[in-house]
Amino acid sequence: MPVEIPEINWSLLMPQLVIVSTLLIVLVFDMIDSISKKTLGWMTIVGAVIALWASINLLQAGTDQTQFNDMFRIDSYSLFFNIIFLVSTILVALISISYLGKGDKKQGPYYLLILLATLGMMLMAAGNELIIIFLGLELMSLSLYVLAGYFRESPASSEAGMKYLLLGAFASAFFLYGIALIYGAAGTTSIPGIAEKLTTESQSPLLLAGTFLLIVGFGFKVAIVPFHQWAPDVYEGAPTTIAAFISAGPKAAGFAAFIRIFMEALPDIQSEWTGVIVLLAMLTMTVGNVIAIAQTNIKRMLAYSSIAHAGYVLIGLAAANDDGTSSAMLYLLVYCVMNIGAFGAVILARTADGESLTISDYAGLGFRKPLLGIFMTLMLLSLAGFPPTAGFVGKFYIFKSAVQAAVQPDVVNTWLVSLVIVGAVNTAISAFYYLRVVVTMYMREPEEELEFNPYPSTLVIGLALAAIGVLLIGILPSLLLNPAQNAVL
Amino acid sequence: MLLSIVIFLPLLGVIAIALLRNMGASAIKGIALVISLLTFVVSIGLYTGFEAGIDGFQTDSQLYQKLPWIAGLGISYHIGIDGISLWLVLLTTFLTPICILAAWNSVEKGLSGFMMSLLALETGMLGVFCALDLFLFFVFWEAMLIPMYFLIGIWGGERRIYATIKFVLYTMAGSALMLVGILALYFQNGNSFDLVTLLATEGTFDHSYLLFLAFFIAFAIKVPLFPFHTWLPDAHVEAPTVGSVILAGVLLKMGTYGIVRFCLPLFPQAAADATPWIVPLAIIGIIYGALVAMVQPDLKKLVAYSSVSHLGFVVLGLFSKSHLGIQGSVLQMINHGLSTGALFLLVGMIYERRHSRMIVDFGGLAKKMPIFATIFLIVTLSSIGLPGLNGFVGEFMILLGSFVGGAFSKWYVVFATTGVILAAVYMLWMFQRVMFGTPDNTNASLPDLKPREIVVLLPILLFIVWIGVHPNTFLKPMKASVGVVTEKVKVNESDNTPEVGQVIIDGETQDPVILKVETATLQLIEEEAQTK
Repeated sequence: MPVEIPEINWSLLMPQLVIVSTLLIVLVFDMIDSISKKTLGWMTIVGAVIALWASINLLQAGTDQTQFNDMFRIDSYSLFFNIIFLVSTILVALISISYLGKGDKKQGPYYLLILLATLGMMLMAAGNELIIIFLGLELMSLSLYVLAGYFRESPASSEAGMKYLLLGAFASAFFLYGIALIYGAAGTTSIPGIAEKLTTESQSPLLLAGTFLLIVGFGFKVAIVPFHQWAPDVYEGAPTTIAAFISAGPKAAGFAAFIRIFMEALPDIQSEWTGVIVLLAMLTMTVGNVIAIAQTNIKRMLAYSSIAHAGYVLIGLAAANDDGTSSAMLYLLVYCVMNIGAFGAVILARTADGESLTISDYAGLGFRKPLLGIFMTLMLLSLAGFPPTAGFVGKFYIFKSAVQAAVQPDVVNTWLVSLVIVGAVNTAISAFYYLRVVVTMYMREPEEELEFNPYPSTLVIGLALAAIGVLLIGILPSLLLNPAQNAVL
Repeated sequence: MLLSIVIFLPLLGVIAIALLRNMGASAIKGIALVISLLTFVVSIGLYTGFEAGIDGFQTDSQLYQKLPWIAGLGISYHIGIDGISLWLVLLTTFLTPICILAAWNSVEKGLSGFMMSLLALETGMLGVFCALDLFLFFVFWEAMLIPMYFLIGIWGGERRIYATIKFVLYTMAGSALMLVGILALYFQNGNSFDLVTLLATEGTFDHSYLLFLAFFIAFAIKVPLFPFHTWLPDAHVEAPTVGSVILAGVLLKMGTYGIVRFCLPLFPQAAADATPWIVPLAIIGIIYGALVAMVQPDLKKLVAYSSVSHLGFVVLGLFSKSHLGIQGSVLQMINHGLSTGALFLLVGMIYERRHSRMIVDFGGLAKKMPIFATIFLIVTLSSIGLPGLNGFVGEFMILLGSFVGGAFSKWYVVFATTGVILAAVYMLWMFQRVMFGTPDNTNASLPDLKPREIVVLLPILLFIVWIGVHPNTFLKPMKASVGVVTEKVKVNESDNTPEVGQVIIDGETQDPVILKVETATLQLIEEEAQTK
């Protein structure tokens, strides 16, 4: 049997190639001792910026092609997600440079793993084939397990890494099992192939079982209730920069694959899965927000808040229309920026003996550290969805797509309407705990004077970029809305 | 263009203060005062450029603007005013410089933040009154919460944090539902948030009862209508003086404005069917607010509960759906803003001297503080509704409009009228306890009002008398706009709904005998308005 070597258009793979070369360069330069380790961080940033630029160029050109025998799809959907991942990577690298400190030997692998994880995410978004998606998922997850336990000396960090590894491996098994069952039912792992098979053949129980296993697998990866238990522990124990990273890019990547598989491969059994998604979304938002109220540790609070935000994104998937997909994409981008910004503000509030993580430590900070207060307030207001921030636009668009799906001229889909109402009420609940931090910063007097470290300039740059992004998207949403609307599947 | 300038000028002040906040306290106060005065001066241009004859929104390019904003979602930057919003806009621009001047020496920490919050709040409120795009409206509606949240939470009293969070959560819970309603309207409006086309829609919207409810609850919380009022006393008592002034003067009007702008004209049928439920709530609010105010030992709380009572009148007038009642309600929104705003200012001034708001701590102030006592008396009487002052005109129009034009039992109005008597009881009793009698040593040494404080209060007094003596200045521009609302509301009702000052007897429209005198007066007012 002659083997045909497919024609490969390398220019389409530019973003991925740039990331691969950057990580190789970082690997090599890490071996040279005379180079400051900070340079590695800057190399990561430069590489990610170039990849970002390449992705934007491809997106503007309206690319939609497949590569490697249809296994890899470069369309505006995957390119838009590339932007989300790369923006997250750039921001995380910026806040990491000062966080890791000077002269530490361990910085090389840190950036290397971040780049590897980014590559994994890009594979997930572009995967046109369940196996490729799984490959990307594993590449990303394995890097993250190591990163979560990166501070070996800290028991909390090691515990976080271990927990993440065990539960993550469990989730991967579910995911793989789901793929196997779907393959059994459809005879193919190609996404368009499955869709084609579904239209011609009746649905088998095997397929449904596979679908639900996929939901469980993704549920773990993006931290949907009831598969969320790992998230607070991992976020709390992992280095704060990595918590920011895990909460942003990988969650977006999980959703990228989630939405692509469900909207492209399984639209014909949509009636079977929307009910589950609606229930999971309600549960995720409510549980995440209600438990977040009880938190006293800011990292754990942000962990539960990020669980709740996964619930908002699920609304977009539950709407199952074009606007639903593009609103989920827009929301993920906005969410990544504001969440990394919030974690960055936590890092900014660093004292000589480490980070101050108890919310009560923030008392009086608003007036004593105005810059920190403004950054934190802006990010939290955006997370809570107040205008004129990006968070408001994101939530508004998500609710709009769901109402559009729910309210037809003749029938009202009560499930979706209640989902939107639950989402809207959750917004009010979430305002309570986000505002509590603001209350502590501006309205309470500190019990003891804490000495805060001076601001590192890279961190301030990262936060300023996030703040500008949050306000810019909030005031001129069209900048992102139009690309997101054009990038639907 | 002029309208945009009015809305965003205060925001410019926020930026200016943010940049120059190291210049010292007097510079910050100066900037804030100049900017807010400038905003007021510019906003007078809205009045002079206003065409009273136009139905609906003004068409002059100075007073109306529409620019594409988020084209992908059918959202535009679309602002304009009509006779109803004109007065609320002017009230806002009028009260803000007064507040800044009133807070001149009372802010101890974070002065720049205080002034920035106040100016940002002004932009938010003006935006709410001028937005003709539902998305824009919602943006301003929510955005205005943040500065108010800081005003109460940072510069408030003892239990400020509880009060501010309660205020924000109540409002957010209401507006979350309104957001769903706005979205549902969007798809019935040809994928657009344009209020003008929504108002022009013939017939009813799908699911109009649910939509009415979604909007109404949000506004009822803001008004606040009984039983959603519990956030109000907390917020008022804990807020700093100017926070209370803005809260009572303008923020509460956002609720009643929402009712007259959205609930009534967009969902007339639902509003008609809901009237038998809402009017009793309004009347309970009137009487309950008055009764609770009567027993308050705390001056500020007394004024706060009197707001619940007064706003009940406004809701009653709106749901009478008669031309007279709605006009009275809109006028009463302004009246309440002036009178209650002035009352909060006066309570704040006496608190700064005595550091107490408890009525028992006072007595005999009239002897030592004659100017204070005189102004306090005028404002008290205006709040009670003494003829010749503003409160009377508004309340009388509301009650008459509800009595003759209201689509509900006249007994309701009879009950509501007791609120006027109760108002006299609690206000005059309070006045007597605070002002008369012999002052003790502490009270005897209190200084009278300073010139700055008189300057703060005089403009309000001017308008209190002006509205009381010549309400036509204010009624004339709003007549056509209120007419648009009443037309919309009447669409589904029978044709023989009585006009102003008329009742139906045996199926024929006739002038009532008992009301002859009052109607004659009011018809004179109406005619005069028409001839002008």
